[in-house]
Amino acid sequence: MSWYQMHRCVYDWVRAGEVNSGDGGDGRAGFDVGAYELTDEERKAFENRDIAAFYQLGLHEVLINRYARAAGYARDDYRKILEPLGSTEERKGRWQK
Amino acid sequence: MAEIVLAYCSSHAPMMSSARQAAPEEQRNNFFGALDRVREQAVERGVQACVVLSNEHYTNFFLENFPQICIGLGEKNWGPTEEWLPIDKVWIPGHAGLANHIATYTLNHGFDPAFSHQLELDHGIMTVYYELDQTMKLPLVPIVQNCAVPPLVPVRRAYEFGKALGEAIRAYTGLERVALVGAGGLSHWIGNPRVGDIDEEFDRWFLQRLERGELDQVLDMPDSEIELAGNGNHEMRTWLAVAGAMAPVRATTLAYEPVYPWITGMGVAEWETGDGGAETSATVEQQETRREESLT
Repeated sequence: MSWYQMHRCVYDWVRAGEVNSGDGGDGRAGFDVGAYELTDEERKAFENRDIAAFYQLGLHEVLINRYARAAGYARDDYRKILEPLGSTEERKGRWQK
Repeated sequence: MAEIVLAYCSSHAPMMSSARQAAPEEQRNNFFGALDRVREQAVERGVQACVVLSNEHYTNFFLENFPQICIGLGEKNWGPTEEWLPIDKVWIPGHAGLANHIATYTLNHGFDPAFSHQLELDHGIMTVYYELDQTMKLPLVPIVQNCAVPPLVPVRRAYEFGKALGEAIRAYTGLERVALVGAGGLSHWIGNPRVGDIDEEFDRWFLQRLERGELDQVLDMPDSEIELAGNGNHEMRTWLAVAGAMAPVRATTLAYEPVYPWITGMGVAEWETGDGGAETSATVEQQETRREESLT
C-alpha cells in the first residue's frame, strides 16, 4: 500500500484535465502512471478506472468523487458500483428522533 | 468603516449550474428565487465587494500542505476550475486591501490563516458567486476552509473564526458596504456508497438551530456525528462562520429543498443587516461604478 502515491497519482490525473481547461485540448493525454510508486493493486485500479477498488483501497472520498466525474461515470452509476460496499449505520445523530 | 450590508449562506452543489433543469421546477424556483432575492438586495444596497467562505475540494491544496483556512489575498483569482461547469472561465477581481486586512486582523486575534496570492475557485465558490453577480466583476475575497481532510478544525473554532472575520470586515476603512457569503452544505454524501442520499431531518434541524440561535447544540458536535448527515456535511463550517460573524443576529431561512437530482439538501439562509445607508434601487450602472471605485 502506497497511500500517498495513489492519492498523488489520481489527483495529478484529475488536475491534468482541469489546469488551463479553458484553453481546450486534453491535458490527460499521455499521462504517465509509471511515474508513481504504486502497488500492483493500485496500478490496476487506475488502469481499469475501478471506482470500487479505489474505495476499498482507501482513496479519499472527495477524490473518488472528482475522479469519477472526470472519468465519465454518472453519479447514479458510481452509486450502483459502491452501494454493495456500504454498511448499515447503527449510530444516531442528536437530530434524529 | 465597512459595514456588512448583506450576509447569507447557500448550498453550492455543482449541479445547480451543470444540471439546473434536473431539479423539479418547484424546488428550482424556490431555491433560485431565494438567490435572486439576495442578488437584488446586493444591488439595492450597493455592495462594493464580497467575502465568500467555502471549502477546499483538492483544488488548490493537496496532502503536502493542507491549510485549515486560507485567505485569497490576490488581485485576481481564476475560476471555475471544473472543465464541465457551465460558467465562463474568467479572472475574478480580488480585493487585496480587504483581504490583507482580514488576514492581518485575524492573525492579531488568535487565528493563523494561510494566505494565497492566487487561488483557483471551483464550484464551491463559483456557483454561489455567479448567482450573486453574473457579470463576475464584483470584487471577491475568497476564503477556503478545510472541510474534508482530517484532522479538521473543530466547528466551534470555525464559528469563532467567523466572529473574528466579522470584526475584521467591520474594522476595515477602505470600503463601506461588504457582503459576507457562506457557500456549502447542507447534508450530502460524495464518493461513497451513500452518494445521492439527503438527510432532510438534519437539514431542517440545523436551519432551526440557526433561526433560534441555539448554536451550542451544533458547536459541540464531533466530526464523527457531523458525518452521520454525510461527509459533505462538514461544510457546515462555512455556515457557522457566517453565523459567528453575524451573532447575535439569528438567521432566516429563505429556502430549503432536498434536491435529489443534485444529491444535496439545498438551503439558503440570510442574516438581517443594516443596509449601509445606501440608497435603494441602485441602477446597474451605479453598481458598476461602485465596483470600479472599490478596485482603485
